[in-house]
Amino acid sequence: MAKQLFIKPEEVRQSDWIKFRDIPVNQYSKTMADEAGAYSKEDLLRIYHDMRLIREFESMLYAIKTTNSYNGLEYNNPGPAHLSIGLEASSVGQAYLLTPHDFIFGSHRSHGEILAKGLSAIQKLSDDELQKIMESFLDGATWKIVEKAAEGQDRPLKDLAIDFLVYGALAEIFAKTTGFNRGLGGSMHAFFLPFGIYPNNAIVGGSGDISVGAALYKKINRKPGLVVCNIGDGSLGCGPVWEGFMLSAMDQFRTLWEDDMKGGLPLIFNIMNNQYAMGGQTRGETMGYDYVARIGAGINPDQMHAERVDGYNPLAVIDAFRRKKEIINAKKGPILLDTLTYRYAGHSPSDADSYRTSEEKEAWESQDSIAAFHAQLVLAGVATEAEITAIDEAVVNRVTHAVRLAIDPQVSPRMDLSKTPDAIEKMMFSNQQIVRMEDRACDVLLPKEENPRLQQIARKSRFAFDEQGKPVSKNKVYQLRDGLFEAILDKFYEDPTLVAYGEENRDWGGAFAVYRGLTEAIPYHRLFNSPISEGAIVGSAVGYAMSGGRALVELMYCDFLGRAGDEVFNQLPKWQAMSAGILKMPVVVRVSVGSKYGAQHSQDWTALCAHIPGLKVVFPATPYDAKGLMASALNGTDPVIFFESQRIYDVGEQFHQGGVPVEPYQIPIGEPDVKRAGTDVTILTIGATLYRALDAAKLFEQHGISAEVIDARSMVPFNYDLVADSVRKTGKIIISGDACERGSYLNDLARNINDLCFDDLDAPAIVLGSRNWITPAYELEEHFFPQADWFVDIFHERIQPIPGYAPKHSFTDVEMKRRSKQGV
Amino acid sequence: MATAVIMPRQGQSVESCIIGKWHKQQGDPVQEGDVLFTYETDKATFDETAKVSGTLIAVYFDEGDDVPVLTNVCVIGQPGEDDAPFRPEGAGPAAEAKPEPLTEPAPVPTAEMPTQTSPALSGAISPRARHLAEKTGADLRQAEATGPKRRIIERDIRQLVDAGKLATPAAQAAGYPAGVAGTGLGGRVTTGDVLAAAQPAAPAALAPDDVTTEKHSNIRKVIARSMQASLATMAQLTLNSSFDASDMLGLRSRLKKAAEQGLTAEQGFALAGQVPTINDIILYAVSRVLARHPACNAHYDDEKMTYFRHVHLGVAVDTPRGLMVPTLFQADTLPLSGISRQVKDLSSACQKGTISPDLLKGGTFTVTNLGTLGVESFTPVINPPQTCILGVNTIVTRVREQNGQVTTYPAMGLSLTFDHRAVDGAPAARFLKDLVQVLENFSLLLMQ
Repeated sequence: MAKQLFIKPEEVRQSDWIKFRDIPVNQYSKTMADEAGAYSKEDLLRIYHDMRLIREFESMLYAIKTTNSYNGLEYNNPGPAHLSIGLEASSVGQAYLLTPHDFIFGSHRSHGEILAKGLSAIQKLSDDELQKIMESFLDGATWKIVEKAAEGQDRPLKDLAIDFLVYGALAEIFAKTTGFNRGLGGSMHAFFLPFGIYPNNAIVGGSGDISVGAALYKKINRKPGLVVCNIGDGSLGCGPVWEGFMLSAMDQFRTLWEDDMKGGLPLIFNIMNNQYAMGGQTRGETMGYDYVARIGAGINPDQMHAERVDGYNPLAVIDAFRRKKEIINAKKGPILLDTLTYRYAGHSPSDADSYRTSEEKEAWESQDSIAAFHAQLVLAGVATEAEITAIDEAVVNRVTHAVRLAIDPQVSPRMDLSKTPDAIEKMMFSNQQIVRMEDRACDVLLPKEENPRLQQIARKSRFAFDEQGKPVSKNKVYQLRDGLFEAILDKFYEDPTLVAYGEENRDWGGAFAVYRGLTEAIPYHRLFNSPISEGAIVGSAVGYAMSGGRALVELMYCDFLGRAGDEVFNQLPKWQAMSAGILKMPVVVRVSVGSKYGAQHSQDWTALCAHIPGLKVVFPATPYDAKGLMASALNGTDPVIFFESQRIYDVGEQFHQGGVPVEPYQIPIGEPDVKRAGTDVTILTIGATLYRALDAAKLFEQHGISAEVIDARSMVPFNYDLVADSVRKTGKIIISGDACERGSYLNDLARNINDLCFDDLDAPAIVLGSRNWITPAYELEEHFFPQADWFVDIFHERIQPIPGYAPKHSFTDVEMKRRSKQGV
Repeated sequence: MATAVIMPRQGQSVESCIIGKWHKQQGDPVQEGDVLFTYETDKATFDETAKVSGTLIAVYFDEGDDVPVLTNVCVIGQPGEDDAPFRPEGAGPAAEAKPEPLTEPAPVPTAEMPTQTSPALSGAISPRARHLAEKTGADLRQAEATGPKRRIIERDIRQLVDAGKLATPAAQAAGYPAGVAGTGLGGRVTTGDVLAAAQPAAPAALAPDDVTTEKHSNIRKVIARSMQASLATMAQLTLNSSFDASDMLGLRSRLKKAAEQGLTAEQGFALAGQVPTINDIILYAVSRVLARHPACNAHYDDEKMTYFRHVHLGVAVDTPRGLMVPTLFQADTLPLSGISRQVKDLSSACQKGTISPDLLKGGTFTVTNLGTLGVESFTPVINPPQTCILGVNTIVTRVREQNGQVTTYPAMGLSLTFDHRAVDGAPAARFLKDLVQVLENFSLLLMQ
């Protein structure tokens, strides 16, 4: 959709061949003696130590899982343990050259990676920096334990920092409040930002798109460092990982992004290829790529610089990372590495290894990376057996020490939810107001006042009616889409980190013209088109926000929400609480509810989002509310699913006297609003149904019934006070929206109103939703979505019979039960 | 030193594993790495290999045994070594029986509470309507239910208020008849209104001599109120039965004869001087039988049942002023002669109009007798808040077949009306059956 790119038919229709470069497979062939100049003795012993520490840590967890005991210490760990025994050389190799500025993201099997990255960071940070990090992290909760246990010992700070790392990770795995995330993350989600360790992910391939967002953050905000996405070979069967590949390898980084923004993403997909995906063998059984490294050739002309690396040799992995870092620095990312390794342990301790032979395991164990490295150290004369043994013993002592501290309930308690029942509750949302995520100038292309759309809007009436009360014509009225535009434009000039992207966000101006006028004002790197990858659109926004930025992404139709299911339901809502409040998630996901486009383009799925703890959900229906709620969402630090309706992008403001203010303002999320006052029946609506409820109010008037119409505006959070006051007055309420009635959020509202207002109700709170069908063609929609006369009909049938009234639609008990029995 | 082999924990949810097969027997030499036994979880089968070499000196479980995880399964050591320190508690392959789980005692079913019926004519009323009725004093009994499913809704109460159909709580409790004009605050009917003389308007269309009007006496009003309230608020129904009155009639004729023979009370024949009436006998029997049927000797209101230790019998008396029901207090403590005497006194006081108002209340069960007027069966109306009333009918001659012979006998009818809110059909019927038995053997009842 970029006009700059001309698709020439004579060029693209030409006969030609696609040629591939050879893909390196295990090309590293140096011995330890060959590398003598590159590594000092300390370097090599540290590599051995780090691998050995990981092995001991994981073996300890295995012993505790299977025997409840390690080195004489008894403990029962009911949580998960997906162990990385066998992957130590790959883990240490990937982390060795990384700086604390470099981020790693992981999988469910990432204990080794986080320890390796932590050890690497400890090595590179100064004592002062380390001290500051450890003392300030969670107000020193973790550090105090380590410091106290080492009292009276004269040990170097770096040595204590390793204790801190091992203890903090283990306490987290054991769900202790002294863990890196106060025990709320656990084994599969442990991380420690100050060392550049970003979240692991319990969803296979979950980091595949989140890491792309982190790389976007680094690039767009000119931050030092690169991002490594450590995911397994099994995740290559996951759609979001492919979406992540596509988003990360977009041509526009080279073709359309300008000046210093030109160039590829600083991102390495490091596929920890342990050759098993649960019980399936990825090569020979469940995939067809033969070599993971082959995949890069299918993604971009650089073939993602893919190669296979021997993950059993730490020096081979370090060598690969050294070469790949250069490519990143030359802005030629992203990169795909096929780091070949093998896991000795099963997927988890309940895995009986019934899918492989013990001969195969023994064959790999006979080439064990640690044993082999040990032998090389001795052979090359780098270290004596005694030195190796000393390292081994120190490692066992350190792990034992950490276990002793972590299992002691006095030293390392769990969160006490009896004493502080709101401890988790208050981490679900950060509820902050942060105008700009970073204080610096915003990259824009022209002064805000010169924006062509703003100039066009200036000629429009900001209220739907003129002074005589006559409606202003569509072309002359300030519309709902203008309200969204103004709030978003304001934020682009306030927050330098704000980016917006989606499938048609730039020149098109969004499928519904919300962004028209942004392309002229905002440079490519802050407003761009993405591939049709809903999962990666939301997933990358999660990574972008985790890294410190603010993202506004768009899914176009609500019906595409399913494509971003994991990202919306598992990633976006969970990380604030799983990080114990360390991470913030300032992400606004715009979701547009369609109309006229049939069964797969017209659905209101607000209920799905409202069901998931950790998401805020809003659905404005007027220009005034749209502008105010968007401003609120964009100033907040929580994920907001921002529903819009295609029925009403062009409505003018009919309610707020004086029209939509020019200056910025915010409407708090969670507060419903009375759009029409009345005395006899309350109608509470979600989204565009508001306007049919207002039509219904006119019908009620003909029967002498005065309807009060309330627009919910938000679903999560939701303040019931206003509605309860109204029901106290009217005693009757109909709750309506365009979602299919069964399981909709309307039922939640009704249930709570029945509870809260029971003594005031003259009839149970009534729900009026859409039929439980596919959405039919536009011409048949009046039989599907709630219509004005349905309100009167259901009122007559279920609340208060109107003398002489003949309803056209059946809302009887019999009909209700019949539909339910049929499942429709 | 011997080494125990435990049942490994394979996954957190696994609490025990089943031993599939022993690959080594007790006494066998084992090498490190040898498979000792296989074991199964519900998900998979695993091999347990020896971690040390030696001799399998003890095996604690058999194939098929379900072994808790982390329990010692066998011991590897040197021949002759003692395995006792490793033996799991109560081990031995046979020691698998688990203690019977303690079963919770079955919960005692709670007695079903009597269903509470709403004073409204329809069963349902919205919370809002009830609230409003309480606030405005609207008379719910006059409400027309116009809501869905014949529910009384807010507008029905507003209708009552607009029509002035209000009642103060006291007036409602007194059970005033519908349509009394109120003079209280906001048009409420007060107790004063109820007790004050009503003002019936003469139908204008009729000639003055066609009709005569007569103002209600106070007693008429009270009766009207009470009966109306009774039928309006209770779930009344009547059971009819009869009993063979031969024994009772025989007793009476013997007592009459005794008097003729000059037997006196002084001689110990308490009843000789005053032959009890049939009604007295029934009252006596009722006062004794009720002790075994407390729900029939009780008061019912919307909140609770009130049971009485003694039986206070209401005795319906026909007087020129109308029906009066004096109370025979503690009838269960009185001998038949006492009942007979007191009823006579009460009845006479009612006839004369000298009855003390205190004796016109406090009854717990009422007996009304229309038998002297030849009534064979009727539906007595309960005197609220009592739960039952017994109607006594006339005696008719009935036939019955006994040993192939058709014989006649005097049958006296009993009509028991009970409030189904308080008493169910079967218990009421049991009371009646009990009463019939006692009356049929009344002379035996007197032998104490």
